[in-house]
Amino acid sequence: MAIAVLRFPGTNNEQDVIRILNSIPGADPYLVPSRLGASALREADGVVIPGGFSYGDYIRAGAVAAVGEVIEGVKSLAEEGRPILGICNGFQILTECGLLPGVLLPNNSARFVCKWVYLRVSEEPTMFTDGLENAVLRIPIAHAEGNYYCSPENRSMLHAHSRIPFRYCDEEGNVTPESNPNGSIDNIAAVVNEEGNVMGMMPHPERAARAALGSTDGLPILENFVRGTKC
Amino acid sequence: MLTQEEIAHATKVLGREPNETELAMLDVLWSEHCSYKSSKRWFHLFKTRGERVYLGIGEGAGLVDIGDGVLVGVAMESHNHPSQVDPYNGAATGVGGIIRDVISQGCKAVGLMNCLRFGHPSKPRNAYLLENVVRGISDYGNSVGIPMVGGELEFDDSYDGNCLVNVVCIGVVRPEKVVRSSARTPGHYLVMFGATTGRDGIAGVSFASETFSDEEEENRGAVQIGDPLAKKVVIDTLAQLVEENLLDGLQDFGGGGLTSCAGEMAANGGTGVVVEVEKVPLREPGMTATEIVISESQERMLAVVAPEKLERVLEILGENDTPHAVIGKVTDDGYYTVLENGEDRAQLPISLLVGGFPVPEREEGSLPPRSHGISWYEEPEDYASAIIELLGSVNIASRSWVYSQYDQHVQANTVVDIGDNAGVLEFPLNKRLAFTSDCNSFWTLLDPQQGTANSAAEALRNLVATGARPILIADCLNFGNPERPDSYAQFVEAVRGLGRFSHDFDLPIVGGNVSLYNESEVEGVVHRINPTPQIMIAGIYELGYSPIRRNLCTPWANIFLVGETLPELNGTEYQRLKLGEVRGFPPAYRPDAEKRAMTAMLEAHKAGLIRSCNNIGRGGLAVALMKMALYSKYGFKLNTETVPGTTETLGQALFSETSARYLAEVTETNQPQFLEIMAMYGVPVCELGLTVADRVADFGKFRVSLEKAVEAFETGLTKYLE
Repeated sequence: MAIAVLRFPGTNNEQDVIRILNSIPGADPYLVPSRLGASALREADGVVIPGGFSYGDYIRAGAVAAVGEVIEGVKSLAEEGRPILGICNGFQILTECGLLPGVLLPNNSARFVCKWVYLRVSEEPTMFTDGLENAVLRIPIAHAEGNYYCSPENRSMLHAHSRIPFRYCDEEGNVTPESNPNGSIDNIAAVVNEEGNVMGMMPHPERAARAALGSTDGLPILENFVRGTKC
Repeated sequence: MLTQEEIAHATKVLGREPNETELAMLDVLWSEHCSYKSSKRWFHLFKTRGERVYLGIGEGAGLVDIGDGVLVGVAMESHNHPSQVDPYNGAATGVGGIIRDVISQGCKAVGLMNCLRFGHPSKPRNAYLLENVVRGISDYGNSVGIPMVGGELEFDDSYDGNCLVNVVCIGVVRPEKVVRSSARTPGHYLVMFGATTGRDGIAGVSFASETFSDEEEENRGAVQIGDPLAKKVVIDTLAQLVEENLLDGLQDFGGGGLTSCAGEMAANGGTGVVVEVEKVPLREPGMTATEIVISESQERMLAVVAPEKLERVLEILGENDTPHAVIGKVTDDGYYTVLENGEDRAQLPISLLVGGFPVPEREEGSLPPRSHGISWYEEPEDYASAIIELLGSVNIASRSWVYSQYDQHVQANTVVDIGDNAGVLEFPLNKRLAFTSDCNSFWTLLDPQQGTANSAAEALRNLVATGARPILIADCLNFGNPERPDSYAQFVEAVRGLGRFSHDFDLPIVGGNVSLYNESEVEGVVHRINPTPQIMIAGIYELGYSPIRRNLCTPWANIFLVGETLPELNGTEYQRLKLGEVRGFPPAYRPDAEKRAMTAMLEAHKAGLIRSCNNIGRGGLAVALMKMALYSKYGFKLNTETVPGTTETLGQALFSETSARYLAEVTETNQPQFLEIMAMYGVPVCELGLTVADRVADFGKFRVSLEKAVEAFETGLTKYLE
């Protein structure tokens, strides 16, 4: 299935994502530089917005990319129910453009943080976590603005509708304040939209998708995404 | 600034007085930074050739063949002076510059390293410098998407007015895609792209080639400002130009700006260049021809393009929306000509401009004699608290506060993160390389030659501990004012030490940089940095080999100490903590013992006999053992009463920093074969004890609380920063 991998000026994880998608049967990833606009997404069965620093993150992470014309194409695909996955800066762009609720504030340490973290997968199934319910995954993060925050109404709504697929936890899977790497409310590491076809996540599944890198826990997330494009 | 002698020499060669623009051009290219006029004469001491060397020292990056058509590029550089004045931008542009060096050879940049030196972080100014240098590197390196794979951090009062920021970039390229820094063919076009030209970094190299005075703040305008977004666009654009084989030559704008960039390419190609300054895209109006040719604005590249390829090149540059212009041509007249709207602004013979300086006299003074005596040494009353104190020392404590600010995983090739003995990256065709850097500036202060060779040996042991075979060296030589005989003696002795090491271990030096004048003069008193020859070594694994880590990983395995221990307590971290200074003769460089230990360890690794491994370095045996247990699920129970060698007390054995030693965890079944290999190479070895399933650090005569040890290790540095 045709999977558009978006690249804004300053995006820097696009090749990493394409490389892993290429290893998944049935996935046919292609690079879409954002300047090509929404028309370049016409044939896409799904979209990945990879990590990086779109437009240098010079105003606010993801803020400039979110108003680009190509985002209109992403929104149309989202409405059609196509799977959309935003990783790291991609998550920031998805919240900035309104496809996902909440915002990603600067980390509470006020510094960039790169480390391996553990994620507790929600017990409620989502398109992206099929077969992983309740698992504990080990996947790295790398961001300066990953501190998820949203209004109290959104917060209760996210919990009530099981729209939080991943939460930061310790090695045993306990969601604790100590295992929260950036100050996110309720240790939220990812959220999905109401329809369940758009997910934003701060951890990098593509960096935990080959045994040589120390973990393959991110691979099933990307495989689920690819499966979703076939529906 | 140019000396009277240099101006007279230029006048004689030209047959006339140089004009203002020409003087400015000569000033930057004859600066120590660009010309290596005090240092180059010693480089013949280095081993620079080797069967793997594809491109040696002299261009942006050295290229080394790791087999099957894969070349690894390595470049190393300092950005000390700018970082002292403006730590955030100085460090960021240091990273930017080193990336340009590597990508300008056609490489994809795949890894970064940084080696930092500051005064003690308890002084607010030093903590400020550290925090901002790290933030500068982090913001820039993370944004351009190149993982950090290694680094080093050391503190000493000698760096109080002169912090050091040394950076390494690692790249990869196929031989047919290599681009040379050369303008070979007259008639080809000079195309610059990447960013506009402004007044930032005017004559930065001249500023970097003088000692600091009390007025350092005035130099802020000499520091360049980085733009990682523009750099990312340059990286992507360049990848496209290289892929389509559109470039006949390429060099980045670094120190010396357009003067050095075009001048060096003409020198390498045996040609000349003509530059029309009014065509250079500017970011501010009213810049003079002089300012344009010496500006060091960042993120700019200069390409040499054949006429038939120009159209396609301009098309790609336009598509990527990067500032660009055709600014001149390659000529056959051997001159660097600067035109402004058709009028001559400068006309200098390339042979004068590049390397045509009168070689300055430098005097090698004598260094103070050192003693081997250790009469200062006293056995600690409480071994456990001495070990805790060492683990909490700013020069040993955890650096994770620094490393966690760097993206280590982007590009998804990182096999081993920073913090272990070496960072490991995966290259094409499943090749894996390990990278490490080292310099113990306390050893080099006490004996620049031995200290340098031994620092290199320590870097080598870092690699060997993980199972990698060393293949190449890059260096960055940071010293004081070469016009002072004692300072110059430190430099020359260090070069001799590194030269010796490179020949002893048959390791080519493929990249490097020299940074002199790292002194400040405050109220008439000269304050000079410790000699700091920063050495980076890379090593390669056998195909399919998984790097061995430091953490103990099985219970009830044997822990072996490989190599003999001598009472070498001078120059150690233990001495520094006890006396507040280092003195005496530092641990000796022992190439023979080092080579035997390396060969034996690599053979044991190859046979798969070693479960975890550490080399013994700063802090000695005690610290090396503790580091294996700090973050392991297991602990150890030892008998440290009998350690091979000539130490007389337990404390001496624990804190000596004798070289050529390793710790290896070997399971019972593998023990006979392991001992056999050690015996075969005549390497002394002793069984210190066992790993245990409990979290204990039991040295036999005493125990160290792992909880306290972890706390000391983790707060040793951060307590000054938060």
